[in-house]
Amino acid sequence: MAKNKNKGKPRNYALDSGVYRFSASKMFHKKAIHKFLKKTVAKKPADKKPVFVEKKIKGDKNGGTRMVRVKKLTNNVPTMDVKTCILHTKRKSVFSKHSRKLRPSLTPGVVAIILAGVHKGKRVVVLKQLETGLLLITGPLKLNGCPLRRINQRYLLATKTSINVSGVKVPETINDKYFARVKSDNKVKKDGNIFENKKEDYKPSEQRKADQASVDKQVLEAIKKHPQGAALKSYFKAGFGLNKG
Amino acid sequence: MAPKSGRLYAKGVFTGFKRGLRNQHENTALLKVDGCAGQEDARWYIGKRCVYVYKAKNKTSVPNSKEKSQLRCIWGKVTRPHGNAGSVRAKFRRNLPPQAMGCRVRIMLYPSRI
Repeated sequence: MAKNKNKGKPRNYALDSGVYRFSASKMFHKKAIHKFLKKTVAKKPADKKPVFVEKKIKGDKNGGTRMVRVKKLTNNVPTMDVKTCILHTKRKSVFSKHSRKLRPSLTPGVVAIILAGVHKGKRVVVLKQLETGLLLITGPLKLNGCPLRRINQRYLLATKTSINVSGVKVPETINDKYFARVKSDNKVKKDGNIFENKKEDYKPSEQRKADQASVDKQVLEAIKKHPQGAALKSYFKAGFGLNKG
Repeated sequence: MAPKSGRLYAKGVFTGFKRGLRNQHENTALLKVDGCAGQEDARWYIGKRCVYVYKAKNKTSVPNSKEKSQLRCIWGKVTRPHGNAGSVRAKFRRNLPPQAMGCRVRIMLYPSRI
């Protein structure tokens, strides 16, 4: 090796104009980078993924199979963005998932006044809140003719009188389904019977009567135990009304 | 709650429409509720439904009943208090007819907040 005259001097330097003296390719040769470059490894051929996949066609119509692309084409855009789809379904608040609130004055055992409906003006006992948020009330039937019924909180005026109904066990079967309207089985033929609207009067089923009796029995006992039991009985019998003064 | 007279509704009177001195706005009615003395009393009535009941010559059908009747009604609700003396503003589904001024309006006790 010849004596390196350039020792100490930089290989590349800037000229007055600011440009460097030697280009990148010259520097490649000057620095002998070819000695330091690693040899490239031969490219491994990538595992060939199938472009098309055979998929079975479900349903009666076609039978057999069809070829589906593994990687969707870029111009294959769905009609509705998946994200917005999910957003929309998440935003829909289903009634069954609504949060049910209960006014603090309408706890089980409270005597409330019904403000509207067939039984308006009657004082009834609140038993519990059902799944849909409606309240289960009972007259009791013997005292004021109001049966086990569902009613919306908004139509009840709570009083400060309450009965201890912790001992009253309302059967688990009494829920919203119990009160659902019974669909009539009339399969109307087109003969002309359509115009005869037979509105059958509501008759309480035996199940209802039995449940009513069992719940009322417990409620009446609770009323008896109340310090003002006797007075309460007549309280229930009387209706509510606004009066002068 | 001040004592009032009536059944399951409070008695009220339709005193007029919401108005300035020279212009009136018929979409809002002013009701004077019996026994309601000040703005605090009036606040109890906010949201309560109210009805103007009246009779007409021709009989019209009644919901849930076969018989027709001459009674008709316009439903509405109390929206806010009006003034300092216990009056209340109400909006009805259709505006109240001016002949109802001075006539009875029933203010129901529901939707209850108690």
